[in-house]
Amino acid sequence: MNQQGWQDLYRLLGLAKGEWGWALAGVLLTAGVILANTALLGLSGWFIAAMALAGHGGPGLDFFAPAAAIRGLAILRATGRYTERLVTHNATFRLLTKLRVWFYERLEPLAPAVLERERDGDLLSRLRADIDRLETFYLRVAVPSAAALLAVPLLLALLAWLSPGAAWIEAAGLVVAGLALPLWALTLGRAPGRVAAAKRGQYSADMTEILRGHAELLVAGALTRIEAQAETTALALEDAQRHQGWASWVTGAVGQFTAQLCLWGTLVITMPRAASGLLSGPDVAALALLTLAGFEAVAGLPGAWQALGESLASARRVFELADATPALQEPARPAPSPRRFDLHAEELVMRYAPDLPPVLHGLRFDVPEGGCLGITGPSGAGKSSLLSLLPRFRDYQSGSLQLGGVEVRSLPGETLRGLCAMVTQRAHLFNTSIRENLLIAKPDADDTALRDALREAALLDEVLAMPAGLDTLVGEAGAALSGGQMRRLAIARAFLADARILLLDEPTEGLDAATEQRVLEALARLRQGRTTLLVSHRPQALRLADKIFTLS
Amino acid sequence: MATHSPPRERALAKRLERWLRAEAKPGRAALAGVIGTGGLSGLLLVAQSALLARIVNGVLMHHQGLSKAWPPLFAMLGVFAVRAVLGVASEHFAFSASTRTTAQLRATLRAKLAALGPHYISTRQGGALASLLTDGPERLAPYFRAYLPQAALSVFLPVAFLAFAFPADWVSGLIMLITAPLIPLFMVLVGKGAAALNQKQWRRLARLSAHLFDVIEGLPTLKLFRISRLQARIVAQMSEDYRQSVMAVLRVAFLSALVLEFFATLSIAMIAVYIGFRLYYGEMDFAPAFFVLLLAPEFYRPLREMGTQYHARLEALAAAEQIVNLLETPEPAGLAVTHPLPGAPVREIRLEGVEFWYDPARPVLRDISLTLRRGERVALTGPSGGGKSSLAKLLLGLDAPQNGRILLDGMDLATIRREDWFARLAWLPQNPVIFHGSVADNLRLYWPQASQEALRDAAALAGAAAFIEKLPHGYDTPLGEQGQGLSGGEMRRLALARALLKPADLVILDEPDASLDAANAALVGRAIEILARRSAVLFIAHRPENVEKADRVLRLEAGHLLAEIPA
Repeated sequence: MNQQGWQDLYRLLGLAKGEWGWALAGVLLTAGVILANTALLGLSGWFIAAMALAGHGGPGLDFFAPAAAIRGLAILRATGRYTERLVTHNATFRLLTKLRVWFYERLEPLAPAVLERERDGDLLSRLRADIDRLETFYLRVAVPSAAALLAVPLLLALLAWLSPGAAWIEAAGLVVAGLALPLWALTLGRAPGRVAAAKRGQYSADMTEILRGHAELLVAGALTRIEAQAETTALALEDAQRHQGWASWVTGAVGQFTAQLCLWGTLVITMPRAASGLLSGPDVAALALLTLAGFEAVAGLPGAWQALGESLASARRVFELADATPALQEPARPAPSPRRFDLHAEELVMRYAPDLPPVLHGLRFDVPEGGCLGITGPSGAGKSSLLSLLPRFRDYQSGSLQLGGVEVRSLPGETLRGLCAMVTQRAHLFNTSIRENLLIAKPDADDTALRDALREAALLDEVLAMPAGLDTLVGEAGAALSGGQMRRLAIARAFLADARILLLDEPTEGLDAATEQRVLEALARLRQGRTTLLVSHRPQALRLADKIFTLS
Repeated sequence: MATHSPPRERALAKRLERWLRAEAKPGRAALAGVIGTGGLSGLLLVAQSALLARIVNGVLMHHQGLSKAWPPLFAMLGVFAVRAVLGVASEHFAFSASTRTTAQLRATLRAKLAALGPHYISTRQGGALASLLTDGPERLAPYFRAYLPQAALSVFLPVAFLAFAFPADWVSGLIMLITAPLIPLFMVLVGKGAAALNQKQWRRLARLSAHLFDVIEGLPTLKLFRISRLQARIVAQMSEDYRQSVMAVLRVAFLSALVLEFFATLSIAMIAVYIGFRLYYGEMDFAPAFFVLLLAPEFYRPLREMGTQYHARLEALAAAEQIVNLLETPEPAGLAVTHPLPGAPVREIRLEGVEFWYDPARPVLRDISLTLRRGERVALTGPSGGGKSSLAKLLLGLDAPQNGRILLDGMDLATIRREDWFARLAWLPQNPVIFHGSVADNLRLYWPQASQEALRDAAALAGAAAFIEKLPHGYDTPLGEQGQGLSGGEMRRLALARALLKPADLVILDEPDASLDAANAALVGRAIEILARRSAVLFIAHRPENVEKADRVLRLEAGHLLAEIPA
């Protein structure tokens, strides 16, 4: 592991601050269960050996204490295991809450610029897998490792007390089975693991393609060919998994063999000592069983090592994102809020990164308060980028953009966002009810206000016709609504927010003529009295504008 | 969404389990291998325990040194080595059992999808179906790999151990015999607890994860309404609620595991104490006593492992339920008799009284009669939901009408081999898909034999040539999944180009000039005109202003064909 890895590990542990009590309790209990189990087996072996000796005329024995101890250890082991599982799970969920809140709070100031940083639709789904993996870090990595660190020295001390030689053998065996072999397995499994991950992604992409393009592939007569291709990928995936498997099967078998070899070695070195009376017979029986049972202490380590690599890789990606600097700076001394709401741009230049060509280059326009400027032009001309400047989602590099005579850059983002409402091609709807989605715009709005907003957006009748009315669930990303309904819900939200500035980004794209007409009528009502920037390439939509401006 | 929904009823679980076992057929030989190696390894464990007992007995009772112990010690070493090899072999067989089964399952699923047809696929949530197809078979793998062999071994091994324990000490054997049936009993309890877990915990965990990312995806919206910071509290609250309710479930679920563990451990302790006293009173020899003590934990182990494999079973049942649901979806009826389509180009496509519906209560197309001729451009307009796309799918042969006929030069389309008709078609769907591969691969989708020159011509006609030539490797530029690297408009133009490329009898274009500027739209109009010399062209216009290039305009409203409007 390199230095970065250690730093990430340290930081990951640091995130658990405040929950260390629970985390530690989980580790202690896990180690306790391991020790109770080992002691149970060792004591049982010793007990029956001692009893056998006593029964065959050997020294007498107070048998009540060990017999009671055996029963006690059995109960301790079973209840300890129960408590341990409860405590470790509780700790896991507590850490989960911390991690999620931490992550959200780090991401909030960065959105949306950072989430759009890469032209990568995959970013969010990858992030999701990373966060899920970090959540299992405690349970799969931290607990087994810490418990092994705690239990192994105690176990070795017990063995050393009976026979130092046996302790050395056990120590060597534990290092091999708990460290060397799992690390070897990791090394062996790395290359096929990479292949498997790539093939799995490819297979999933293949299947998505087959489903999305099923009709086209069918008509083109290409379905069989693409399916055969996907099956080849699936077989390659299985092949890689088999290679991964061999690495862990062989090292696992060698690990088990190591444990048995320790037992064997212990017998070989203790038998002469027992024969010469240096070691009692019952101790040999106890040592034999202790040696075998002791390997339970490292049983969780191969899994932990495997999960550690994955967790650290996930942690790196999450930290990298969370540590990104916000795309723009808040003004040190904010200007007072504007009192008028006209817009003025002059020599406006904006670029996404210093090494990229500017998307807006020397832009100049004026919109009077309550006016509507239509913006059109080919895709990639910077239309949407221009709209992202006003709510301060993005920054401009030079020139001037003024709202009511106040430079936008000198206003706090919060203030500006309070003045803006946005209706875009992809307005985000949350996976909850229509009501909740509206209340986002105005948390204290009552039902009358919600109905008014829906009526203005020409959506009220349709919502009331739905079985659950305002409480209808919109589904994931609004999947239960039609495109036109989603757009009008966003418009209703804008009515509720009652902002002074309206930003419309392709508000009618992808709608059929009749729906487009209804949306446009609602927008015509919405733009009354609001300074509006309207991006569209649809002539019908651009009719809303007082003036049209072509970006190129 | 139906993911992570474990079966609730016993009858259903039984049916699914029967299905799973039937599916395991191709892996049967490998499964036998797993059970064989596992069983053999178990028997060797008995031998290993007997050897160890003999060695310790020698030390304890006879003060034997090493010299006399070497033969059993070396025998033991041999047993260790053989068991290690058997362990690897068993894993290998288990893996083969699952891959053979899942390979067949993938083929079954593909065949089923083909039988269900494109309409079924397009109306399902793409993501859910894709993850069912990708992850479904993989989620079943642990069942075939771990659960099934374990289920067999958990019967065989304890019986075998018992057979050896009884002669050594019949009372210990009796203790095992009496306590063992209690364990499966508690296993059912564990299973029930685990079912509650699977059901509640994982579904809620999925929802929790979905909530966090719903909020993150909606961050711009939340920020705009200035409530993004409040959401941190909601995220925390949801997590905390989740923790409390899951812990309540876990306290009960783990309790049954506790009872199971308790019984096994206490039984071993009882045996240890009991044989201890028998030894003390000289009622038995040490060697069989130690042997039984070594065997006791092994006796309970397969039963306990069964408990842990229960999760594999539940997870597999949940996945199986979704797969079985898919496999049991009724298929649209297909005609058995199909004829080849004669080689000559189709000159006339006639619809006679065509009626079509997905649901009889809601007809999509009613009594449609129309004729498309080669050399003609026909525009199809009407409000969305009026049946335009359905009509296109009928013409493409992707769906079949319930009443009426579609005649290709007088031959009923329903009796013609589908592939033959597909070979005569070119199509631009409303949402075309760009496939993983190069630009040229995508252009050649309908016409694999097209020359490089033909590609350029078609791209030029579709207004795609300019941006293609600007790509880093021109026509050889690889396109990522879902056309990554291209804009929506560029993807549509690419798809238009590939439809224009193929010399087809019928060309169906859904909104060919969407996302084109006026100059390019004129270009496409010209392309359609050229196309119409050798094909019948049907293009769908969602907006009335786009029909001027047509020879005829058809208007579909609520499934009815309104009188033809001459253009």
